[in-house]
Amino acid sequence: MTNLINRAKELLENGTVKVVIGYEAGPTGLARPAFITDPAKAGKLIYDDRCVQNLAVYLTKAEVKNLGKMAIVSTLPVMRSIMMLISEHQVMGDNIVVLGISTEKELLDIADIGVMKGYIEKCDLRNPEKDRETLAMLNALTPAERFAWWQKEMEKCIKCYACRQACPMCYCIRCTVEVNQPQWIPVQANPHGSTEWHILRAMHLAGRCISCGECGRACPVGIPCHLLTMQLADQVNNYFHVHAGTSDNMTSVLSTYEPNDKESFII
Amino acid sequence: MARIGVFVCHCGENISATVDCGKVAETIGKLKHVALSTEYKYMCSDPGQTLIKEAIKEHNLTGVVVSACSPRMHEPTFRKACAEGGLNPFLCEMANLREHCSWVHEKNELTTEKAIDIVRTQVEKVKLNSALQPIKVPVTKTAMVIGGGIAGIQSALDIANCGHKVIMIERSPSIGGHMSQLSETFPTLDCSQCILTPRMVEVAQHPNITLYTYAEVESVEGFIGNFKVKVRKKAKSLDEKACTGCGLCTTKCPQKKIPNEFEQGMGMRPAIYVPFPQAVPNRPVIDKEHCTYYLKGKCKICEIVCPTKAIRFDQPDEILELEIGAIVVATGFDIKHADFFPEYGYGRYKDIIDGLQFERLASASGPTSGAILRPSDGKVPKNIVFIACAGSRDPAKGIAYCSKICCMYTAKHAMLYKHKVHEGKAHVFYMDIRSGGKNYDEFVRRAIEEDHVNYIRGRVSTIFERDGKLFVKGVDTLLGAMPVEIEADMVVLATAGVANSGAEDLAQKLHVSYDSHKFFAEAHPKLKPVETNTAGIFLAGACQNPKDIPDSVSQASGAAVKVAALFSQSELTREPLVAVVNRTSPPLYSTCVACGMCKPVCPYQAIELEEFKARDGRVVKKAARINEGLCQGCGTCVAVCRSKSIDLLGYSNNQVYAEVVALLNDY
Repeated sequence: MTNLINRAKELLENGTVKVVIGYEAGPTGLARPAFITDPAKAGKLIYDDRCVQNLAVYLTKAEVKNLGKMAIVSTLPVMRSIMMLISEHQVMGDNIVVLGISTEKELLDIADIGVMKGYIEKCDLRNPEKDRETLAMLNALTPAERFAWWQKEMEKCIKCYACRQACPMCYCIRCTVEVNQPQWIPVQANPHGSTEWHILRAMHLAGRCISCGECGRACPVGIPCHLLTMQLADQVNNYFHVHAGTSDNMTSVLSTYEPNDKESFII
Repeated sequence: MARIGVFVCHCGENISATVDCGKVAETIGKLKHVALSTEYKYMCSDPGQTLIKEAIKEHNLTGVVVSACSPRMHEPTFRKACAEGGLNPFLCEMANLREHCSWVHEKNELTTEKAIDIVRTQVEKVKLNSALQPIKVPVTKTAMVIGGGIAGIQSALDIANCGHKVIMIERSPSIGGHMSQLSETFPTLDCSQCILTPRMVEVAQHPNITLYTYAEVESVEGFIGNFKVKVRKKAKSLDEKACTGCGLCTTKCPQKKIPNEFEQGMGMRPAIYVPFPQAVPNRPVIDKEHCTYYLKGKCKICEIVCPTKAIRFDQPDEILELEIGAIVVATGFDIKHADFFPEYGYGRYKDIIDGLQFERLASASGPTSGAILRPSDGKVPKNIVFIACAGSRDPAKGIAYCSKICCMYTAKHAMLYKHKVHEGKAHVFYMDIRSGGKNYDEFVRRAIEEDHVNYIRGRVSTIFERDGKLFVKGVDTLLGAMPVEIEADMVVLATAGVANSGAEDLAQKLHVSYDSHKFFAEAHPKLKPVETNTAGIFLAGACQNPKDIPDSVSQASGAAVKVAALFSQSELTREPLVAVVNRTSPPLYSTCVACGMCKPVCPYQAIELEEFKARDGRVVKKAARINEGLCQGCGTCVAVCRSKSIDLLGYSNNQVYAEVVALLNDY
């Protein structure tokens, strides 16, 4: 942790970055995002088991971006998010300093995007084990049972869109749900409309979800909506052998055509 | 307030036989915002169109729904009628009551109900139509003809004679194509070379034609009137300006045993060669795959003997970047060879040859100087068997289509043989004789009746060789499937015509569609046979399907007229049914976030990212932009856009949604 604080301080002092995005302890003891612009306050930074949020979501926010060059405390999901955001032209790689954190909570020396790519390639990119188990349970159900299971979950949804806000890949300045000419997705929170929203969100993240699970964690009513996008991440990997967020020029799996694509799905 | 006019067409009895048009018009007339709903027997006729024009003025209509046939044929008709009536043409919609309803259902109430539903969707849609203005795009008045066979030559000459510049690309060292390989042509038996070579020379000498041989298309970008084509001019290892075409190098080249492509492998050529004596341009190229210098690093005999020092071993390939207004694809065809047929020995027997090889045997300039000698021992075959439909019309071989030219050239071959070997016997195995065409059937009759060619209706199951004889086993179906066995000295297979090598690759570069046999696809099988589905790219000759010379030449002239018509205007007008990425005032500029998802899905490369800059040059925003000249309005980008920032003019999300809602709601 002292390594992290010292590095953050150094970056701010020598003017390499204008802001360090990391975690600090909140008043109730929970970790919360911190935006350190003053080197003297770098000591507030923490990194421990409480730090679970995907900080990459702030990289596309204008109020953070406008501060200038950013350093960001990055666990594997954050690094993968950064790769996706660079691929989708949302951030520029040379505008970000990655303060990588290993699974042993050690500060990594990530000099540039190439080094980060090398690090990501060595990591386990599958969905977290707990989610894999739940998905295996769901996939063992019949389609009708599975639909019933999800309908029960959807009944809880209050359409607060916290799942969207927490997701680093949901960076649109105008979301489809805000389009009302025509009104694609019903405004009300009812099982039908909520299901439509969650299906739509999952499809928009197909091939882009980096399996951080932030959407499910953010849900105030405990809908495991991250399972939807994780299932698609799994399927994209099965069919196309691609894990999202493994390079800074990912092509969009579902909208890219190559002349030598397998066409085995055409009967 | 919308005032919609609905015009229900009977299409003679095409619609009214199963749909109660009166009831449709009456029901629709009661809908909100429908100012007028009427019916007529032929809406596309002059009185029908006049009805629409007058109704627009009389009822002050804000939108028109013509409930008739598919928009494919008559949408332009009715849009024009609306424009003449004073209404923006894009405020006119068509409800397809014919293909979508009357032709596919029986006469009953449900059919009429469906017709009403179809019209209702269009009424709801047209309410949301906006008045669009046609798009103007400039035209580069230079055409490119890909392929220098007879079709390409004809097209190039016709376009050039209209006064337009033509660039002809041919991948082999000479133009001429398959026609230059033929001995005589049916049905007149005039010499192929004699009628073709003057045309080849004309191409080379025409002031409006630039010829690039030994060149291939590398990439094609852009759109009708404005293509950007990259052409790879393969190195000929020769300074073409210095070379006089004396041919000394070709006689001194130590490599002499390379199978000659022009002679279909029946003769040999050196590594530096002119494909055939009448080649245009009559300049040699070095075949790098066989040249001793390129293989072993020494030789250079050609360089030593060349009197003008024209050989350039270090010549690199050249990439030409060309601005082109229209493209004629005339890349021709190829044929299957004997090795395609297991039942005929997989090409193991030297005396089983294909049709093109026979052409070379019969040709005065061929390897035998026109004498029919069999390849194995050079003897005159006394008994010759021709097998028509070798591969063609055989779904088991994956070629279900008729190759069209084989019946005629088989008759020709048999005739040529009989003219040269008077005592010889010619047998033809055939499935059917397809000799439609001017003087064609007479020609086949002549082969049978005057030249006594023995036509046997039946197929050949197998051929095997024993003691220098080929045993051809078949049946005669006109004699009750009686087995026939012929001891032949030589067998000629009229093998199937197939797409040329590299056709699929070229189609993908050009973004034109092709069929399952890799032949290029026309835009409409009847009414647009020379157009492709990509505007500004036309087809000529056998790259579309096997064709004989007259058909290829007619189509080539047809394609040339299409190009000339395109070049007759300085600007093109095209339908404004294109996708647009929304734009708003700063600081938002657009709801597009430039994720770039739409870029790879666009089949027409119409999308790029636009940068918005502040006064100090800083990029403050990026958003996708669609080139309206390139966009074909397919809507794929609309479907993938997550933030719904793209809409298709004339088919906006709002309009399509209104159509769906109309179907869901009662009326």
